[in-house]
Amino acid sequence: MRGFRDRTAVAGVGYTRLSKNSGVSTLTLACEAVLAALEDAGLTADDVDGIATHRVGDSAAPSVVGPALGIHRPSWYLDQFGGGSVSHAVVGQAALAVAAGMAETVVCYRAINARSEFRMGGTGRGLPPGPEVQYQAPYGYFAPPQQYAMFARAHMARYGTRPEHFGRLAVTQRANAVKNPRALMRVPITLDDYFDSRWIAEPFRLLDCCLETDGACALVITRADRARDLRRPPVLISAAAWGGGDSFMSGGGADTTVTAAAELAPRLYRQAGVGPAEIDVAEIYDCFTYSVIVQLEDYGFCAKGEGGPYVASGATGPGGELPVNTHGGFLSEGYVHGVNHIAEAVSQLRGDAGDRQVDGAEVALSTAQPGYILPATSALILRKG
Amino acid sequence: MSVRPVTDRDSAEWWERVARHEFVVQRCDSCGTLRFPARAYCHRCRTRRWHWQPIGPTGRVESWIVSHQPFLAGVTEPYVVVTVRLADAPECVMYGNWDRREPPVTGQSVRAVFTVVDEELSLINWRPLE
Ligand SMILES: [Zn+2]
Repeated sequence: MRGFRDRTAVAGVGYTRLSKNSGVSTLTLACEAVLAALEDAGLTADDVDGIATHRVGDSAAPSVVGPALGIHRPSWYLDQFGGGSVSHAVVGQAALAVAAGMAETVVCYRAINARSEFRMGGTGRGLPPGPEVQYQAPYGYFAPPQQYAMFARAHMARYGTRPEHFGRLAVTQRANAVKNPRALMRVPITLDDYFDSRWIAEPFRLLDCCLETDGACALVITRADRARDLRRPPVLISAAAWGGGDSFMSGGGADTTVTAAAELAPRLYRQAGVGPAEIDVAEIYDCFTYSVIVQLEDYGFCAKGEGGPYVASGATGPGGELPVNTHGGFLSEGYVHGVNHIAEAVSQLRGDAGDRQVDGAEVALSTAQPGYILPATSALILRKG
Repeated sequence: MSVRPVTDRDSAEWWERVARHEFVVQRCDSCGTLRFPARAYCHRCRTRRWHWQPIGPTGRVESWIVSHQPFLAGVTEPYVVVTVRLADAPECVMYGNWDRREPPVTGQSVRAVFTVVDEELSLINWRPLE
């Protein structure tokens, strides 16, 4: 793994405004975020020779975004089918392509109109494809908050995880978002607000759920040595791992309280040459509150089953031993399908996170959807360059 | 509920059997492994000779939710969805709605009930095992 560790870097990040109705196409969002990321890196679209995204049939493909920006002959591209479980794998694959010399400057983007055009929970449009849907949809069971609520309940029953734990996480992340000018939700909430929010799918309330968001976020990936000569301090990609998990098909694992992250984490840490104790800040995929709690366990920050009490102890808040989702996460910043978590980790490691900066942040973990629903996950460990 | 299952070439016969109120999964002819949902190959020995195996229509509630958000057009009342791990085929889970007013309990023993939608479609729902 020495051949991969720290050989590539994130050289630029770019965002569009996050909103509930962008009023523009995903193509427009993608172009805006990509150009912003290139500007941040001090590069132009003429420097780009690789382009990558993940999507679920809801957004502009690299084959459209490239030509729209005058990038006509990329030497490498990736159009990854998938939701949040592949967000970090896209960056990992871009880094592999750069490390192998197949491309020099790759832009990874996710452009999404997840409120105004394509709502992940359905609510009106046709059901998602996939062999499992026929066994679930006739019972009114197909939307991600329902599925995650099902997994969360199993964890509650087995380990005594409580609604207060979910609520503390939501309150803590909102407090982070208050300090984030990009965030959609900047009004502080209390635990009472959490308990007063309406049911979506018990045990989940509204404040357990991510924000349906319109927006885009992009990253520029290049060689570490080249990144050092660019405009911004480089953030090195120390490790990138992705892999499979268990589906509901028989033959997989029977314990839904453990995610694919538990298998992936040792590989990821080994690749980076660090362990959980060396992680200074973690941007953890929070499609729902429970997603963070189970990943804190499966990435080794606390014992199995202790994710709820760990959050309630304040460990994941500002000044805690592991600040988590310093931007507010999907729960309070907005939902850009994983890429905004990587971008926040980059910001923390550059030291430009403003009021929400974690002092002395040198190593960051960022993770994808941990392998429920689509049985795969991915993650990155980034390091200050 | 208003959504009919979109069956495929692997699953169509299973749905036909459910419509006849048969409670079956696949059984591998080579190694005996029970599997669900339907597909051609055994995941354990990777052979593809199999038959439909009637099993006991019972299991345990692995987890459950009460869905409130109207994800489906026209469905406004809350409803319970259960995940059931089958007693005779512990590697297999099935889903269904809950057939009782009193909510389920995780770990509870349950029995399948066939709910007739029409001549061609029945659904498997669940109630406490008395
Ligand atoms: Zn077999």
